[in-house]
Amino acid sequence: MNTRNLSILLVSLFVIAGAIFTTGARADGEVPAPPAIGATIEDFTLPDVDNKEHSLKSLAGKNGTVLIFIAVQCPVSNAYNERMEKLAEDYKAKGVAVIGINANASEDAAAVKAHAAEHKLSFTILKDPGNKIADKLGAAVTPEAYFLDANNKLLYHGRIDNSRNAAQIETSDLRNALDAALAGKTVEKTEAKAFGCSIKRA
Amino acid sequence: MRFSRAIIPVALCIVLVALAAPAQRRYGRAAKPKPVTVVSPIDTEALKALLTQQRERPLLVNFWATFCDPCRDEFPELVKIDNDYRPRSLDFVTVSLDDMSDIKTEVPKFLDAMKATMPAYLLNVSDPEPAINLVDRAWRGDLPATYLYNEKGELVYKHIGRVNAAELRQEIEKVVSKKGD
Repeated sequence: MNTRNLSILLVSLFVIAGAIFTTGARADGEVPAPPAIGATIEDFTLPDVDNKEHSLKSLAGKNGTVLIFIAVQCPVSNAYNERMEKLAEDYKAKGVAVIGINANASEDAAAVKAHAAEHKLSFTILKDPGNKIADKLGAAVTPEAYFLDANNKLLYHGRIDNSRNAAQIETSDLRNALDAALAGKTVEKTEAKAFGCSIKRA
Repeated sequence: MRFSRAIIPVALCIVLVALAAPAQRRYGRAAKPKPVTVVSPIDTEALKALLTQQRERPLLVNFWATFCDPCRDEFPELVKIDNDYRPRSLDFVTVSLDDMSDIKTEVPKFLDAMKATMPAYLLNVSDPEPAINLVDRAWRGDLPATYLYNEKGELVYKHIGRVNAAELRQEIEKVVSKKGD
């Protein structure tokens, strides 16, 4: 085998290996693992629905931040619209910012903006093109919430509460976590499985 | 004369059709067929019984919802699998995670359209977490999720996300009786 053929063989092997690796990294339905409770979430920057960039740092509340992955078309996420807006209003006064993130590749910024206007969502909503932040946070569904303290340490991850039907709420896990942390207490339940529509990744 | 006699039945038909048309429009909603498939509610305890009961046949369980695109996309393949393997001793049930309000509408409507005849359930719980944990502690509740148990009730295969039909068939082949048994 001459040098040229050897080079072609090596390049081909490299390309094939690359293709296998790329496919393997995002098998269908595979969602990266979320950060552990207590981990510090690095600052990130995402565009809002008007394509204006915001860093997490610039939006964070002085007492913490809630990030919620939301959707335009998901009926489960939509069942939480009023509850999310109320949450944002209630905790804004307590120094906690609520930020929505739409990571669905199937929903563009214009659709997110129209949806927010229609459902009177007044909190900031960011678009996550290529679902980079969804991957970083291991977000699988909408709605799925992350509560970070003032130092961006993850204190709670999971559902907002136990039921998409507001009439059947038994445990408001996210509010419980927020209230505990704001009262200087330890968050008892740090994780609760979020249920909703799978995030439509790019 | 012969022509005018022949035209009478034709004219009568036209008149009858003309009269029937507004009636059909008036009763259009009633004429719409109701879904045929019966979807049964299932709570966490009943789900536990279903998954752990003594059985003599392998069991395939698909968790899905009408609002889940990959669930809808994979369904035709699942119906084919049910048709192919039910005669070969595979039991297959579907568990929808739709809202209870969809149990007589959206869910059976979709199953009818898919010509799905396997037993169909809808998870009737106010809190899905215990049911999700009961099925699989590692499952985060994202859909679809497919689980295959052998005849002893042991989990032999699971897949979160849209199934690869060929892969699922391979796994089913390992637990069902051979063709002609």
